[in-house]
Amino acid sequence: MESAIKTLVTTFLSYTKGKENLDTKTFKKMVQQQFGSVMEDTDSSSSIKEMQQGLDENSDGKVSFQEYLTLIGYVANTMSQKKCASNQESS
Amino acid sequence: MPSELEIAMESLITVFHRYAKDGRLNRAELRKLMENELSNFLRSQKDPAAVDKIMKDLDANGDNQVDFEEFVSLVVGLSIACEQCYAAQMKQRSFRNWKIPDWERKRITPPPNSP
Repeated sequence: MESAIKTLVTTFLSYTKGKENLDTKTFKKMVQQQFGSVMEDTDSSSSIKEMQQGLDENSDGKVSFQEYLTLIGYVANTMSQKKCASNQESS
Repeated sequence: MPSELEIAMESLITVFHRYAKDGRLNRAELRKLMENELSNFLRSQKDPAAVDKIMKDLDANGDNQVDFEEFVSLVVGLSIACEQCYAAQMKQRSFRNWKIPDWERKRITPPPNSP
């Protein structure tokens, strides 16, 4: 579990490359490279933009580490619910 | 092919459900999870008051159980705590791997006929 948390943090850091936030272009790249298997529409620029605007709590046009974690939380929740649902079906 | 990040999220879900027998963690299960999975990050497992405090902090809806959504807050909290540390580590590592660029090396190498 500790290594999983480390991956969450270092993935973000590997895209920001020393900067504090992800800009629109880098966010798009990250979503396409990292969320390809769990998300639909990752090749649509407009849906990625919409998602970024949804995350942007302080409306600065960038994605901060906190906002990135909001996305991770949301995706993990959805994955967990899906997993529970499929477990119930199979049992 | 799932990405590294997807594998990490997957493993967080698996860990949670390994301890949460009915889909939620009670106090004893949370303590066990912290003891087994976060032994390097947290040193407070043995302190019952600290476990109580973490439990209370996480339990947003006040049902004395930690559901997955509440567990995510723990993950977020730990990630924020780690960020600064990893950022510093990565900077150091990239410095260590830093190589003299070719143009710079050429300039440093003395000309072959120098005395």
